[in-house]
Amino acid sequence: MFGARVHLSHFAAMVVFALCVSVAFACLGRQTTAGRIKYAVWSLVLFLAIGVGIAWLMYPFSR
Amino acid sequence: MATDAPLIEKRNNMLPAIALLAAIAAWAVPGLGHLLLRRWGRALFLFLAVGGLAVVGYGMRGEMFNTRSSDPFGALGFLADACSGVFYFLGRQLESSGPDISRAAGDCGTRFLAGAGVVNLLGVLDAYRIASGRKR
Repeated sequence: MFGARVHLSHFAAMVVFALCVSVAFACLGRQTTAGRIKYAVWSLVLFLAIGVGIAWLMYPFSR
Repeated sequence: MATDAPLIEKRNNMLPAIALLAAIAAWAVPGLGHLLLRRWGRALFLFLAVGGLAVVGYGMRGEMFNTRSSDPFGALGFLADACSGVFYFLGRQLESSGPDISRAAGDCGTRFLAGAGVVNLLGVLDAYRIASGRKR
């Protein structure tokens, strides 16, 4: 009925996932607006940095 | 001041029921529990986060597990998926062409759907704690 296909690269999928989860964590984990923004940005950066870092660590074993 | 004591006691007696109601509402529709507790910002962003994960997961043709899974991971997947409330029950409408986990995108979509459920579960617990007075 509403089934629209979504075509995302692996990196874009990781960014969307990290963004949604970071926003939810920030809303649930912090009380003030400033605290939430800081937490969400920090969480998003860590998600992406750790994701890319693990990808680079696994690269030698990928072929 | 002293006349408020019966009212406060009555409210305190109702807290477990209110907390349970808020938790059920938060499970059924992500953010609804917080909306009932007048936490507007949390309600909106929780709905957007859970809804975003679920809609993108369905769009990537991720697999939504059902109760008939034969292995433990399937059962855990069902538990995670079922926690997304209305987005679990809208699965057939949002994913009309069915799951396709033969591609990497479908596999990623499965993780998105499970993520939506787990994030909503955190929202349910948060709504319960707020309603029961353990959190602001």
